[in-house]
Amino acid sequence: MIRGTVVGQVWATRKARGLDGQTLLLVAACDAEGRATGRLVVASDTLDARAGEDVTVAFGSGARNVLRPGPENRDVLCDAAIAAIVEGAG
Amino acid sequence: MILGRVIGQVWAARRDARLQRAKLLVIKPHAIYEPAFATRHLVATDDVDAGVGDDVIVCLGAPARASAGGNDMPVDAAVLGVVDRIELSPDAMLVPGAGPGIKRALTLPAAAGAK
Repeated sequence: MIRGTVVGQVWATRKARGLDGQTLLLVAACDAEGRATGRLVVASDTLDARAGEDVTVAFGSGARNVLRPGPENRDVLCDAAIAAIVEGAG
Repeated sequence: MILGRVIGQVWAARRDARLQRAKLLVIKPHAIYEPAFATRHLVATDDVDAGVGDDVIVCLGAPARASAGGNDMPVDAAVLGVVDRIELSPDAMLVPGAGPGIKRALTLPAAAGAK
């Protein structure tokens, strides 16, 4: 997983059916010190993250497990998902 | 997933049998995208009939294979959606260090997102 900051949202009308119902947020990835790196990730959101909030983003099967936990979720169309909203970091 | 813009299409007569019907687009990612191999582009299959100049959402890895037709597909990137609108939070731009990087990253999609 990586840390990042929610900076916006993306909307698409023409999309794969598997994306229906997913909220897609733009997350600016942070480096180890929490500074933005200029990389942007489009991550699916189930936690109602708001712009400006710090989050952790899971990739790969970890991201699919956010949307639908279980071994048979390879058909979930998601490769990045917000796993937690960060309240503090040391 | 990443945001990118469709900058072209590739055609191949000789290709894997499972890719016979796939449309292959060349995508230039917005923002910084550094995969293990040092290129600044991706080739992705397309299910949503995106065209050159469209801003798109590209999914990588297993979900891209699922979208392209199954887990045995020789694919690792798929266009899943054509972006209508991008909303960037002005507050988020004030995150220390975020502004220049994000603004630079979104110079291109800002134009498409504004419609």
